[in-house]
Amino acid sequence: MAYAAEVKNIVKQFPSVRAVDDVSFSVNEGEIFGFLGPNGAGKTTLIRILTCLMKPTSGHANIRGTDVVKHPSLVRREIGVVSQALTSDLDLTAYENLNIYGKYFDVPKSVRKKSIDYLLDKVDLKDRANDLVATYSGGMRRRLEIARGLIHKPYILFLDEPTIGLDPQSRRVIWDLLQKIREETKLTIFITTHYMDEADVLCDRIGIVDYGKIVALDSPANLKRNIGGFDIIEVTLGNAGPEVMEKLKSISFIKNITEKDESFRIYVEDAARSMPALFEEFKKMGVTTQYLAIHEQTLEDVFIHYTGKTIRETEAQKVSFLIGAGAPRQMPGGRL
Amino acid sequence: MRALAVTERDLKRFIRNPFVIIASIFMPLMYLIIMGNSFQGELKHLPVLLVDQDKGPYARRIVELMQALEDGPRTLEITRENDQKKAVDMVRDGFYKAVIIIPPDFSRDVVKNVEPQVGLLLDNTDSISANSISGVVSRATAYLKTEYTPVRPDRSRPQLRSIELYKKIDYDASLVPGIIVMAIFMGTTFTGAFSLVMDKFLGIHESYLSTPLTRFDLVAGTIMSGVLITTIMSIIVMVGGLMITGIKLAGGANTFILLLATMVLTALGLLSMIFTVLGRADHPRIVGVLVGFLNVIFYFPSGAVYPIESLPGWLRAFATVNPEAYAVHAFKELILKGSGFVAVRGDLMFLACFTVFMLFLATLTFKRTM
Repeated sequence: MAYAAEVKNIVKQFPSVRAVDDVSFSVNEGEIFGFLGPNGAGKTTLIRILTCLMKPTSGHANIRGTDVVKHPSLVRREIGVVSQALTSDLDLTAYENLNIYGKYFDVPKSVRKKSIDYLLDKVDLKDRANDLVATYSGGMRRRLEIARGLIHKPYILFLDEPTIGLDPQSRRVIWDLLQKIREETKLTIFITTHYMDEADVLCDRIGIVDYGKIVALDSPANLKRNIGGFDIIEVTLGNAGPEVMEKLKSISFIKNITEKDESFRIYVEDAARSMPALFEEFKKMGVTTQYLAIHEQTLEDVFIHYTGKTIRETEAQKVSFLIGAGAPRQMPGGRL
Repeated sequence: MRALAVTERDLKRFIRNPFVIIASIFMPLMYLIIMGNSFQGELKHLPVLLVDQDKGPYARRIVELMQALEDGPRTLEITRENDQKKAVDMVRDGFYKAVIIIPPDFSRDVVKNVEPQVGLLLDNTDSISANSISGVVSRATAYLKTEYTPVRPDRSRPQLRSIELYKKIDYDASLVPGIIVMAIFMGTTFTGAFSLVMDKFLGIHESYLSTPLTRFDLVAGTIMSGVLITTIMSIIVMVGGLMITGIKLAGGANTFILLLATMVLTALGLLSMIFTVLGRADHPRIVGVLVGFLNVIFYFPSGAVYPIESLPGWLRAFATVNPEAYAVHAFKELILKGSGFVAVRGDLMFLACFTVFMLFLATLTFKRTM
């Protein structure tokens, strides 16, 4: 099977931090591949290397077989990029933003016009096409930028934290949009995020990154299964005598149990399968269920399992003593 | 062509921010009005005290001569004072620019021919006024004994007659070439590289760096939009300047084409130079500081306000590589004298070479990566 993107032993060393540390993986054609990790894990650096905005210190990466360091101008024609910051031009209308961006890619006029109409419709901005972007909300700008990333019909679309800073409604709209685009165009999508739910909903496969390394890579379901955790059934029982705890402990499919004020937390491997048997047992014991809730293992548990709970210290940016933030800063990846 | 798309984007943005363009047209014109009216060649109305301790016939003659200066060219405004000490104190306190003192034995000394002296006490902290007063007073006192004009002039004495080659040019009119260059400079500082600095500041540049735009596309595209806006601005400033000062453009369509060529080449040269300087800046504050600095070092040694020939050697040497000096020279030739191509050929050549060199540097130093 052809890979949409291949990354081999990529390293990016900044003056005092190794942002990407010997990372290798490949993205299948047509899948949504996610990079999940805390802030400062090296996600943006990696996406910048893959989109030719930064050169790696060592290692190789290619998009559809074309090396990103050797042939950046070829790679740029294959990729669509939606960067983390909102980058649409405020002084232009949505239509102009797309039109000028299309010209950057030499998209012929007739094709451009059709694509713009199609994409504006897709991202639900047709009615606002001739309004200045300055009048848009963050969610609208993001949708416009996704449309912009698709104007030249790229082979792969990169999105760096596409829903950062958006409200829950806008996030859902973006998710729906990306899923729809994928279904219709079989586009390969590479996305970075630090939202568990986003990765869970969107991605076919997820790479969890931390300190510049991939610590786990699999489908969301497999990742959850692999950390060997349990579903938790929380239950409050009526008529429960002190013997109930002992009886529950003796049941084979219950892996662990804790009690607090007649409320039990029962750990089982698969809540859906254990429920009927558990109700049978309750019946035998003559207790009634007053409250019951099931907590499934979430990607958040997986994430915390792999990355721990400490907040990442990112490298302090150097600011000029003389002119503060007005100086050309030494950014990760050299000067801006 | 991709560079044209960059130009189109820039132009659209400027059309939607007309304030900055209007302000940049207004500024050089205000400069013309204020500068043109502040330094009007000869000084006028300088307050001077006169202390006459002699009161003899020749002292009266001096007073008359001083009053002639007051009534004629209005260089001085004379106030009589009897107390010499009080007069000196008033100069010290800044109420007057000078005291003219006619000592007690002045008339006697004149008659006896024993070096009669008139005292002139000047406030030399204001050297421009002091030089002017000392000049007019000494010229006037030379006429002390000329009480009559000779009927038959002495033909053996050589006389200087200055011949003005061109129509009389007032000081404010002579500033017009300078303010056009100033308008071009202003235009080149908020277009061109500044657009990219603002993009970086707002984080927008990431969006086009991941497209197939080359470094040259970006540099050329932004410079093209800058040239267009700057040239239009400078034409407006020129027309405004001509209207304010009342000069008529000498020469016809030919001159206008040469003017346009000078404007475009000056704009190109300055835009490329500023691109080289600001290519890597990412904050408008840096632009503010650098632009103010560049404005001073290029504008004043350009011949726009003061003749280059009178500058000290090191500044004259700098003027030989200062693009604004060539621009000012060309504009003076074309606007004030209506000269032809031959007169500005050298200027245009220099500006063209300067542009090519700076464009090369700008493309070389501009970084396309994050």
